[in-house]
Amino acid sequence: MLRSTTDYTRNLLVILLLMIAGCTAKPEESAEIQPGNDRKIGVLLISHGSHSETWRNTLFELEKNVSDRIQENGKVSGTKSAFMEYTEPSIATRLKEFDNEGYTDVVIIPILLTVSSHSFDDIPTIIGLKENPESVEMLKLEKIERYTPKATPHITPLLDFSDILRKNVLRRVRNLSNNPEDEGLVIIAYGSEPYEKEWTELFDKAANHVHAETGIDAYSIGWCGHIVRYSPDSTASAISRVLDKKKTALVIPSLVAFDENFQIKIIGGGIEKVDDHETRVKYKPDAILPDSNIEQWIVDISEEYAANISKQ
Amino acid sequence: MTQTTGNTFRKVNTVLHRDLGYFFAALILAYSLSGIALNHVDEWNPDFIISKNEIELKGSYKKNDISPELIRDFSAKAGESSYRLYDFPSSRQVKIYYKDATLMVDLEKGEGLYEKISRRPVFYQVNVLHRNSVDWWKWASDVFAAMLIIITITGLLMLRGPNGFSGRGKWFFGAGFIPPIIALVFQQL
Repeated sequence: MLRSTTDYTRNLLVILLLMIAGCTAKPEESAEIQPGNDRKIGVLLISHGSHSETWRNTLFELEKNVSDRIQENGKVSGTKSAFMEYTEPSIATRLKEFDNEGYTDVVIIPILLTVSSHSFDDIPTIIGLKENPESVEMLKLEKIERYTPKATPHITPLLDFSDILRKNVLRRVRNLSNNPEDEGLVIIAYGSEPYEKEWTELFDKAANHVHAETGIDAYSIGWCGHIVRYSPDSTASAISRVLDKKKTALVIPSLVAFDENFQIKIIGGGIEKVDDHETRVKYKPDAILPDSNIEQWIVDISEEYAANISKQ
Repeated sequence: MTQTTGNTFRKVNTVLHRDLGYFFAALILAYSLSGIALNHVDEWNPDFIISKNEIELKGSYKKNDISPELIRDFSAKAGESSYRLYDFPSSRQVKIYYKDATLMVDLEKGEGLYEKISRRPVFYQVNVLHRNSVDWWKWASDVFAAMLIIITITGLLMLRGPNGFSGRGKWFFGAGFIPPIIALVFQQL
């Protein structure tokens, strides 16, 4: 009898607890994603910035092309673009907007090729993750506002993280190439003084890929950015090195978007310095963007980061 | 123009040229100094003095070897007793941050580059003005530019006679166009 009463009481307690749990708990699936529901995640595409309107429009177009796809699965609530320097919207402007709109997390995707002072020091210093003395001084001088957001920033890897660049260079080489045996590849990129080795390795890989796929075996690299003080001479010299071995040089500007100053004035100027450039140099003043692989990479990495943030 | 009106005009002209010249003398000197400094931006850093010191670290390291203790050892070799943070720009490098300096260590080579940054006295300040690095300064800069035009025009009209604009002045004025025209012609070639 005693045992039966104890069992009865225990069973009753279990039933009562189950009933209470049934009334208060959400379905199992909802309970699992509960932490994510407290979060509002945004995606910020950060690029270098340029005085060129064409350049900026290309980056806005990139955001437009990925925005819906990024928000499709419901984890990301909004996307924005920001420029590190020269023009608005700046990084600080966009982070303030995210804060005002109640975002808890911002996935920052730098649309930059590989490591540079901008990716490694300037952007983290702007958003308050670092305080690189040189960046702090330069940002002040260039009137670039620093802003530490209330939302937690999560910086993704750069474009060199995947094989996008290799595929991009190969596609553009194929568009220019007629006779691979007689052609050499010239890649012109912005460059970065402290990280020249990393930049060179990145383009070596792209050139090796082009070689494997097309048979174009001569290759040289030239810089067009601050590393050569924006001089066309590095372009001219890179072309000449290839023309010493091959009849024709295929010049590929490995820059994120089209900027008149770079693709026309600096690279175009370098080409004009080369003898017989009209017949021996093939050049299309295009850029890495637009590229559907880059768009897909942005969508994928946004999803990956948003999923991880939701799980936290 | 009557003689009285003419005299009044010349008096106003002289006073304007003299007093605007006095008032803007400091700014003219500042902008000229900064102009020379910024003209040579490719050859030197007109804003900052970045002192560089190469440091031998003896031996090579791997990214996994790096620990706060090792970072403190590297820092001590650079003369820094504490650091703010360190980070890896690539698998072969570690960068250590201090208050006004950094140490970039090439782990493979066992070499460090210590860079200390400080503002270049006078030049930093005049460059801040010349570059309009203070937001509202561009308006002051516009006023300054307008005043320079007035100082120049009043200067042209200051003297009369053989040394005035109508005398030898017009020839010098014309000669002043030659250098920019030559530069523009060369630019078009």
